Amino acid sequence: MDVPELTSTASKVSFERGRGVSGLTVIRDVAHLVIQTGGESDRSDKILQVLSSLASVNVPVFLIKLHRTHVTMALAGRDLQRAHEVLETTGLEVTARRDLALVAIRAASMRDLHGVIMMIADALFEAGAQILEVGDSHDSVQCLLEANKIADAVKCLLSKFNLGAGRVQESSIEAEDEA
Amino acid sequence: MKILVQKFGGTSVDRHEHRVLAARKVIQAQEAGFAPVVVVSAIGRAGAPYATDTLVKVLKDIDPQVPPAPREMDMMMACGEIISTVVFAHTLQTIGYNAIALSGGQAGIITDPEFGNARILEIRPHYIHKLLEQGYIPVVCGFQGITEPTDEYEHGAITTLGRGGSDTTASALGAALNAAGVEIYTDVDGVKTADPDLVPAARTLDICTYQEVAEIAHQGAKVVHPRAAEIAMDHNIPLWVKSTFSDAPGTRITGYGAPNAITRRVTGITHTGKLVYIRLEIDSADHKPTVEREVYRMMATAGVSIFLLTFSESALSFCVPRSQYPVARDLLDGMVVPVELNKADHEGKLAYYYIFKFSEGLDLAYRVQRPLLTAVEKRVRIVDVPASVVENCTIVSVIASRYRKVPGVMVRIMRALTDARIPVYQTADTEMSVSCLISESEIQRAVRILHAEFFEKGFGSNGGDE
Repeated sequence: MDVPELTSTASKVSFERGRGVSGLTVIRDVAHLVIQTGGESDRSDKILQVLSSLASVNVPVFLIKLHRTHVTMALAGRDLQRAHEVLETTGLEVTARRDLALVAIRAASMRDLHGVIMMIADALFEAGAQILEVGDSHDSVQCLLEANKIADAVKCLLSKFNLGAGRVQESSIEAEDEA
Repeated sequence: MKILVQKFGGTSVDRHEHRVLAARKVIQAQEAGFAPVVVVSAIGRAGAPYATDTLVKVLKDIDPQVPPAPREMDMMMACGEIISTVVFAHTLQTIGYNAIALSGGQAGIITDPEFGNARILEIRPHYIHKLLEQGYIPVVCGFQGITEPTDEYEHGAITTLGRGGSDTTASALGAALNAAGVEIYTDVDGVKTADPDLVPAARTLDICTYQEVAEIAHQGAKVVHPRAAEIAMDHNIPLWVKSTFSDAPGTRITGYGAPNAITRRVTGITHTGKLVYIRLEIDSADHKPTVEREVYRMMATAGVSIFLLTFSESALSFCVPRSQYPVARDLLDGMVVPVELNKADHEGKLAYYYIFKFSEGLDLAYRVQRPLLTAVEKRVRIVDVPASVVENCTIVSVIASRYRKVPGVMVRIMRALTDARIPVYQTADTEMSVSCLISESEIQRAVRILHAEFFEKGFGSNGGDE
């Protein structure tokens, strides 16, 4: 199938950010929670219960996704124990794993670019990395992967978007005290 | 020489009285010791005689079946700013000021050749510098530039910069001229905590960061274009959003480390998008990645934007712009994704064919395609992929700095919307914002409720949770 030529790599510009994917950010030690919320009638209440519980023990969560029977979210690995303990008090069924990492594919005006998701999916498929969760915004697509697949995933993504190794940043989920 | 770039939007230059008010801002800047460089948008908004949309319609009306060539479309669209620039320069001249009108190309704005959405490659500011030294007030066309001469376009081609182009021109000129500041003049008195048409109680922010204003703009606020904010941020050019029609101080946009910068958690409530939410039930963990990739490939091939992606073990959900939904549906309905097996399964099937099926009435292609597959059913398992849609969706966002570091924002959003019985279909988040996909019919209530939650419950006087 013919796919149109994609503006996949950043061009050099003096005053504007380049088009296309400009780099990758890797965040290690990320955990993922799957919390069963059951049927429709009290689903919203259970989601609120989950979020309130986590906020009460100062656990920030992100990549929150609402599903028909469950809610999923990511968090810093260091917070998993605390999250698990407080969620146990809700009586909801919780599945958690900590052996994960996040790779964010960065681009200016991501939503004006067609085909980036396809290229990411192709690259991660080639790397043998299953996307466990995905989030997208105007400037990035974030994929939650098994940590042991990150090296291959980064290699395939760099190759797919014609980026040099210098375009990879390591980052972390910083903690703040404020509630 | 302290250069100040002042950009005036369409409503600031749509009639003589407004242009005089705008001219006063230029004169005040000059009297304050600045060398002003003016950037103007086309006169008025859609429907006005020289507005960009009006000019485009002239071309499109020639034969609605024949789309104008991109190069000619850009030349036509650029006319709006050229007219506006000449009129504004002449307005300044009539009140005794030495003004000179410049097209984007004359101002030295060099772009790539992507007509309709060009990016600024370079600005050659020497002519503007020369004019300033001679005491002129340069009035520059926003939204446009020119390509380098090539074999195809011997003298270069006029290009337009796409959405928010005039803001982008102003910011880029500010960077190229090493300006003391860039002022974006509009019909509101600064960056608001919400759309004042929806929330009368919306406040004007005194100060916000480049990152906040870029996020606000990306998430739907129209006060300043994100490209302009990003250029100002990358070049550390002070940016102001002000009203042409008042002397209010406006909003100062600056970096996190600037003096008096505010560390604010919630900056504003925005809304954007006319969207359709599509959910595909792919009942095979093994084959789901393959089927999903074909969905992405199909959407990419057709130029359909997909976002708010969500995975689960047996489903893939995403949004498409409502304008692209018919294309997306036509592509997906009846689409067959074949997956070959390495060896025959327990029923002797050698492959699985996944066929996409929308709900009754939207499944014409499925109903045509499906019977054709019966011929291969002995060797192939045919699996329906039911597709459901939620039409008329939109996104409401809470702009929240440090969202991923500070717990509790999402629970407040969800509680406020849940208490108001506004269903949230999906959520998305960035470092700077939380977005909820909701019914478009609920948008006014949702924005008001969230504004009340974060800005009207006794928090700081200039944004939420300072």
